[in-house]
Amino acid sequence: MPERKFAIQKPALTPFNVVAGIIVVIGVAITGIRFTQGLAATTNLSDYNPWGIWIGFDLLVGVALAAGGYVTSAACYLFGLKRFHSAVRPAILTGFLGYALVVLALHYDVGRPWRLPYPFIVQSGTTSLLFEVAACVALYLTVLFIEFTPAALEWLGLKRARRIVNKLTLVLTIFGVVLSTLHQSSLGALFLIAPSKLHPLWYSPYLALYFFVSSIVAGLSMVIFESTLSHRYFHDKMDTEHLQEADGVALGFGKAAAFVLAGYFVMKVIGLAQTNAWSYLSTGYGLWFLVELLGFVLLPCYAYAIGVREKNLKVIRWTAAWTVLGIVVNRFNVGLIAFNWHLPSSERYFPHWMEIGISVFVVTLGVLAYRFIVTHMPILYAHPDYDKH
Amino acid sequence: MTHTINTLHDFMVRTEGITYILIVVALVGFVVFWRFLTERDEDGERLGADRPDENPH
Repeated sequence: MPERKFAIQKPALTPFNVVAGIIVVIGVAITGIRFTQGLAATTNLSDYNPWGIWIGFDLLVGVALAAGGYVTSAACYLFGLKRFHSAVRPAILTGFLGYALVVLALHYDVGRPWRLPYPFIVQSGTTSLLFEVAACVALYLTVLFIEFTPAALEWLGLKRARRIVNKLTLVLTIFGVVLSTLHQSSLGALFLIAPSKLHPLWYSPYLALYFFVSSIVAGLSMVIFESTLSHRYFHDKMDTEHLQEADGVALGFGKAAAFVLAGYFVMKVIGLAQTNAWSYLSTGYGLWFLVELLGFVLLPCYAYAIGVREKNLKVIRWTAAWTVLGIVVNRFNVGLIAFNWHLPSSERYFPHWMEIGISVFVVTLGVLAYRFIVTHMPILYAHPDYDKH
Repeated sequence: MTHTINTLHDFMVRTEGITYILIVVALVGFVVFWRFLTERDEDGERLGADRPDENPH
């Protein structure tokens, strides 16, 4: 890509850079307060509400939206759908950054970063779901890091190391799918321990299944959404393969998302029948549940189907953004809104502005890291010195 | 005055009965939805199909 060498340098003080810089400065300041003065100074967490948005958003939403890595690599390397190959590296990068930021955000909630390895060396039993989540996230983050390294190694010119890592592609993909299946579902299973706290419309013995299946939808939608943004902001970094395959990726992933969403919708309705929670549908919570189920599951399912039938990429891309929002709504509902639903409003949780500040800070770090990597490493184009793997 | 006493079995039959009906509707619905989703596809576009030159096996 010789033309890249002569690219005109953009000014450093763009509106994006200024806003990102302000967010980072505020985030660093809040980080200082959090780790010197504790949770009470920076959060509205309490004994009733020990999990706030650092878990409900940063962890639950972060892990779900990072599912594009295993979904795309499984489609390409396990199911042999090589026409999605150009989507693998951006999806792996998004997944890797997503999980890395999940672990970073977890530090804010848990505190004492030096205790991060405790689940492996000091713990009361391997039957704990939290142990399973910790083990899988740690292992999967390692897998994603290794899956991401070919791009970094090509950038660094380390051909031998890149060749060795490439040979691990299939094994890593299988590991990724297995580990993701385990911990995506376990995050939902965490709430099985609290049947009296989670509203009956959201509580279900199938919670683990809901989280896993919705993570597939999240992964598919996130790849389309992220690809749309990349096309808009990093169009000049893309080679012809990425540009040519992008529409096919959106159509193929949109079709898969439509069908998986249909299955997810059916599972949710059957879950409703199994817990016999129909009577709650006529309450305020029931209305909000229907907004989630019809507005963020059935509607995108139909919209994806229409987009695929009509080959309307605009509809598919807007639907992907809507579905990503739907995943956020679902995780917020399970983790925050429908949790402790029986408590009086005075005892309910609403995040402190510093909690929101840290979440925005973490997302901004992710965007900045993504931008740095995409502009420096062969993510959206194939490096001319290396074969495709 | 007579009272109807519902047993656990009665509740289970009702709940499971509704679930079984929903499952049958869903299974038929999946087939209809899949046809709706793919009926305008050309042969090379079916999910699972790849470009002919890329996956000869």
